[in-house]
Amino acid sequence: MNDHIISFQERMDTAEFRVHHQAHIVVDGKVCADCSTRECVIACPANLFVPTSDGGIVFNYEQCFECGTCYIVCNREGAISWHYPEGGHGVVFRRT
Amino acid sequence: MSIVACLKWVSHPGEPHDERFAGMSPADQSALEFALRQAALLGTGVTAITVGPSGADKVLRDALACGATRAIRIEAPTTAAGTDVATAIADHIADAEWVWCGDYSLDRGAGSVPAFIAAHLGAEQALGVIHVDLEADGVRATRRLDGGRRELLGVRSPAVVSVEGATARLRRAGLQSLRTAADTVIEVVPATTPIHRAEFMVRPYRPRARELPAPAGDSPLDRLRLLTDAAAASAARGEMVTLEPADAAARIVQVLTDWGYLPHG
Amino acid sequence: MSTPDVDVVVVGAGPAGSCAAIVAARAGLSVVLLERGPFPGSKNMYGGVVYPRILDGLIPNWWEEAPIQRWVTRRSTMLLTDTQALTVDFRSEAWGQPPYNGATAFRPDWDHWLASHAEAAGAQLLTDTTVVGLLRDAGGAVTGVRTDRPDGDLTARVVIACDGVNSFLAKEAGLYEHTDAKHFTLGVKETLALPKEVIDERFAVRERHGVDIEILGGTGKVNGGGFLYTGLDTLAVGVVLKLPKLAAQQQRPEQIIAGLKQHPAIAPLVQGAELKEYSAHLIPEAGLTMMPKMTMPGMLVAGDAAALCLAAGIWLEGVNFAMASGMYAAEAAVEAVQKGDTSATGLAGYQRRLSDTFVLKDHRKLRRAPELVLSDRVQHLYPTMVANVVERMFHVDNPNPKPGVRRILDQERRKAGVRRRDLLRDGWTGFRSFG
Repeated sequence: MNDHIISFQERMDTAEFRVHHQAHIVVDGKVCADCSTRECVIACPANLFVPTSDGGIVFNYEQCFECGTCYIVCNREGAISWHYPEGGHGVVFRRT
Repeated sequence: MSIVACLKWVSHPGEPHDERFAGMSPADQSALEFALRQAALLGTGVTAITVGPSGADKVLRDALACGATRAIRIEAPTTAAGTDVATAIADHIADAEWVWCGDYSLDRGAGSVPAFIAAHLGAEQALGVIHVDLEADGVRATRRLDGGRRELLGVRSPAVVSVEGATARLRRAGLQSLRTAADTVIEVVPATTPIHRAEFMVRPYRPRARELPAPAGDSPLDRLRLLTDAAAASAARGEMVTLEPADAAARIVQVLTDWGYLPHG
Repeated sequence: MSTPDVDVVVVGAGPAGSCAAIVAARAGLSVVLLERGPFPGSKNMYGGVVYPRILDGLIPNWWEEAPIQRWVTRRSTMLLTDTQALTVDFRSEAWGQPPYNGATAFRPDWDHWLASHAEAAGAQLLTDTTVVGLLRDAGGAVTGVRTDRPDGDLTARVVIACDGVNSFLAKEAGLYEHTDAKHFTLGVKETLALPKEVIDERFAVRERHGVDIEILGGTGKVNGGGFLYTGLDTLAVGVVLKLPKLAAQQQRPEQIIAGLKQHPAIAPLVQGAELKEYSAHLIPEAGLTMMPKMTMPGMLVAGDAAALCLAAGIWLEGVNFAMASGMYAAEAAVEAVQKGDTSATGLAGYQRRLSDTFVLKDHRKLRRAPELVLSDRVQHLYPTMVANVVERMFHVDNPNPKPGVRRILDQERRKAGVRRRDLLRDGWTGFRSFG
């Protein structure tokens, strides 16, 4: 099989995101610091949550599918606040 | 009619044939925002004008929702040549004091329409502006020059100002004005002069490949050095000349042709 | 009380919202249809098949204009283990002719088209507008919505919330009791480009005919399922994953798709196809178990927002439930507005319509199916057991004589570690659900 393997960034670049200047995801690092399960890191289909070496989580909001998986899998009250981006912004699907 | 925003309905580079993705360029959004701010300062309204087919009404509705007071669409195909677009607009806004344009559109126009409009109107022009200060008696505009220098222009009406994309963020339309804008009548008018198809189709900016003589050198290393300029600092190509505008333009075209950026003849 | 801005505000121009807006606007009500994306459908993603017969009454001969990719004339259900595949394949020429059955379609096309009918009916579509909350009176009744635009409040006699699986409106109104991770699955898919002729040949279809493959197994240790659908010159391949399992198994969604694409039964079908678009969306999987209250004074909830999505293994439907519930919500809203009673009593026609039609009948009938299909036994034990039984039935092991099927079944059941009691119980549950 000669299918070419693509990087995760190339994968994400196939979707269009109209990025708003304000983040629609906010993560409270203090709550995440003592979370050992880190469901968001595995489950987010856009891989927006990245653990840091000091035990924290950095997050991106720019290439978010707005699916809601992160806040639904998260079992820590108040760790992730999530709302939809401002109207007209965020992901724009084409062939889905 | 004193403040005009010229807006182009452009297709999305990724989906050129899909109207769902078409809209206003970032530069045009900035132009509209400055027009609205200036209108508020001067206590007047903004006329939004576009040249295009019926789909282009979308940018006018967006402009109305943001606060434009009048909308005019000059009927023309999307392929209209820039010079004809400028003529058509100038004919409809002869008494305009301030004309705001984006410097060039998302589909990579040449940015010539604002200049042609200014020429038709006999107005001052400040093109490719990166910063705008609105004042009661005019506009202070900043342009980018070579070498990181800036040019400050004091502009008085009548004038055409074209602005770059990120110079101002277009305000968000209020819900009620969005609803009203949907019912506002857009004046659709024919062009006063014939509209031609653009002779040069817009394409991505790719300079033509240049012919290079085969490198002369005794060893492969020498030839390689010559090819890559790795040994000698390349001679800065360029010259400073003082010429009349027409001669200067001819000289630029000549040099670009010599360098291979433009086809011969 | 001042006069509301409009009779009906519909939140979300998906299939539920647009059908609601069509019905309400045609009945002469003033309707605003709010959409947070730049155009209807731009935020929406699903597996890929829509069953549009519910539109027969709303848009006669809808098939002549609907933006579909292919008509599904071939439907396969596939059971995968690591090295085996058992497929039940059915095709019908009848499904390739009006009034058709299922069709593959892209949601940005489908939803955009449906919304254009809402506009044609007189509803005002406002895009790029996110609803951020409800307006309520002192008694708690919904009186409108707040959008994220300046001057952004919009009052209405009835709000129809079709704001999708995350429905912040239904949650704000306290209509949901359960919004636990275990009630949701995550759908991720790849839209792959492949020339039409290649698809026609690989999937043995012609013209606008297409294939719908539902897959059990193939999602590794994560409970879920897979799908493969044919677009005109694209394939949609993806997986639906149970959320708590996903995190527990430390497997990322795109890795699970990659695993499915490498399965010997799937790889030849997708070989050489180039990724055009990667996408993801949540699915309200648990059906009846998670459904919120759908009626409250001044507001009705429809579509995914009301968890009206049927995820019952061999039946995966959502858009039809959304379209129907949107229509029924609007019919009830029209009655209520005409009577001048938009209280819960005035809006009761909605629940009645849902109960009397497939919308809730199918859900009641299949209420145990989602849990059964995603259970560990069905996911991890039965596929191997069944595939091994079939393999041994058709494996010619001469000079040994053919063993009896009952004996194979019993041996494979024990080998898979399935207790007879569990098998009988699951069989009974399955029979009661699907039978």
